[in-house]
Amino acid sequence: MAAENKTRPKASAPWKRSSLKTKLAIAFASVAPSLIAFLAGNIFSLPGLISLVGILLPLQLIAAMFVGNYVSGRHGRQEAVLMVLVVFFSAIVVILLGSVLWSVISNGAKVLSIPFLIQNNNYITPTTELGYGGLGHALLGSLEMTMISSAVTVPLGILVGVYLTETRDKSRTIVRTFVQSLAGLPSVVAGLFIYSMFVVTGVLKPAGILGSLALIPLMLPTVARVVEESLKLVPQDLRSAAIGLGASKFKAFMQVTLPAARSGIITAVLLGIARILGETAPILLTTLMGSGTNLNVFQDAFATLPTYLFNNLANSTAVSFSRAWGTALVMMMFVGAAFVSIRIISRNRITAKKK
Amino acid sequence: MLFGEHLDMSSVETSVTPARRVLSDKPTARADKIFYGLSRLAAYSAIVLVGLILFFLAWQAWPTFQSQGIDFLLGSKWDTASETKTYQIFPMLWGSILISAIGAAIAIPMGLSLAYFTEFVAGRKLAAFVTSVVDLLAALPSVIIGLWGALVFTPIAVEWSKILNQYLGFIPIFENKSETFPGSPFIAGWIVAVMIVPIITSVSREVFSQIDRDLINGALGLGAGRAAIFTKVILPTARGGVVGGILLAIGRALGETVAIFYVLTMTFKVNWYQVLEGHGGSIASFIIGQFGEAEGPTISALMAAGVVLFAVSLVINFVAGSIVARAARKGKF
Repeated sequence: MAAENKTRPKASAPWKRSSLKTKLAIAFASVAPSLIAFLAGNIFSLPGLISLVGILLPLQLIAAMFVGNYVSGRHGRQEAVLMVLVVFFSAIVVILLGSVLWSVISNGAKVLSIPFLIQNNNYITPTTELGYGGLGHALLGSLEMTMISSAVTVPLGILVGVYLTETRDKSRTIVRTFVQSLAGLPSVVAGLFIYSMFVVTGVLKPAGILGSLALIPLMLPTVARVVEESLKLVPQDLRSAAIGLGASKFKAFMQVTLPAARSGIITAVLLGIARILGETAPILLTTLMGSGTNLNVFQDAFATLPTYLFNNLANSTAVSFSRAWGTALVMMMFVGAAFVSIRIISRNRITAKKK
Repeated sequence: MLFGEHLDMSSVETSVTPARRVLSDKPTARADKIFYGLSRLAAYSAIVLVGLILFFLAWQAWPTFQSQGIDFLLGSKWDTASETKTYQIFPMLWGSILISAIGAAIAIPMGLSLAYFTEFVAGRKLAAFVTSVVDLLAALPSVIIGLWGALVFTPIAVEWSKILNQYLGFIPIFENKSETFPGSPFIAGWIVAVMIVPIITSVSREVFSQIDRDLINGALGLGAGRAAIFTKVILPTARGGVVGGILLAIGRALGETVAIFYVLTMTFKVNWYQVLEGHGGSIASFIIGQFGEAEGPTISALMAAGVVLFAVSLVINFVAGSIVARAARKGKF
């Protein structure tokens, strides 16, 4: 008896056991359909879609069902169908994204050069060759516009987040609902709103500042929501301890809560910037597209990266398409940089969710 | 005792009863007052902002609503040239709905699959990789998706459309009598799907991760397989959150502007359901397309189109928000 108790049963996890035959069957079922589909596609020179959806998917389903049935009966059949479909659909998304990234990088890298990054678009026509002209003016414009919008939205968004987490006001639910409804604001409507508020009333002509203003309602909900989430993650004990030690609520927030939530707040700002950096529609509606360098946001035409891309796509010549790809690559680098920083920051944040 | 030893109790001569403190959550220090005042101001400014948007748009759009009446929504004629101008946006409204529906039909299986894959199938590292891929997709500006859609995806999707039309053309929705395949709602729907998959995925993943593991383990113990757990445990428990996420995504799809602008041919002939026909409509893209040359009453009409768009997405967002909130309050997603 004693000896039996000491040795663990041979199969302590029977559901994880699988014989060599099972493994071989699974391997065969995973490889064979793709081979058949590939060969059939090549021999009969079928279009990719047909060999993928018409041959590979049904074959894969049938093969997986057979193996599933062999391994664990009816459950195995159902599980096989579920897994094949899940992997199939997931793969489509990854392939689509891979296609987007690859086409932007491969097409954009051909265009990227120092002149392209620093020159502006003066005297450049859609057919001027690639060595001349670039997005320097749009790059500066985008940076300036983003800075102006952030200067307003970041403090505002943080304060809204503070209101939603640190106060006990009764109207928090209402405020949260309104911030949520701002998150659903179509970007083109934000442009229409600023246009009707300033241009129709004659206060200002279309200018860079209006673009910056139009981006505020789009950036605000992102910043406010992420700040709220990150403040919520700060343990209540920290606040109580600070207040118990005699700090005023303001001091407790500035010296305890805010530093604890710092990484989350930086994430909020970066996400907000990534959100508005690529916004096109509101800027198209509220500014005039410029081709020269103009940093005066109150008058004259103003250029930004997304509108520069948009116009180049509209010009429909091979050269302007190349310029559009180059612009897309530059924008993607900014988004990627924001993204990587968020990853690095959130990796070592103390308030990160344990999972 | 441990701390008491260090206190010299005899030095306390007389015990003074401190004045009774009034406990309240009202700020007392000046810094606190300013701090709370500012945050309250910021919070109310969000409400004011929504109010301002509604007010200015409605104010500009009013003349159009007055002159066009209900036909603004239900008619299909857009005439800015003649003396009496006609503004009716039904084809664009219907186009937006059709494209969002196609996008949702494509994106829902993908988003749910990805969420299930990362939450229940993939190992830690693979799940982290797929998650960051999806997050990156969510952060890509729509104008880049539009560029990719116009120059890379459209030729591919045209091939797909031809094959679909060739083999499934007998089904009414895959009919195409005009034989023009580019610029169809089908292609725009795919573009929209690319943009809303990340939303559906991240909301569903969040909801899946909050399902009580005991439920799943219980089902496993009763002998259920993965498939049964997915259809009988995960989907029913996660229904509220998932539906809310899908609605949020549809709200986003309706407002999609520049990405659709370059892949869709917009006409004022209603494309009811023939998704492969090379024409359709989209309110948001239509506004962008028309705004450049618009003046006077046409601007008002475009503002009115914006009001309709905003109203539709507001309603969808509110419904989505309340579904998610109700599901969260019940404690079961």
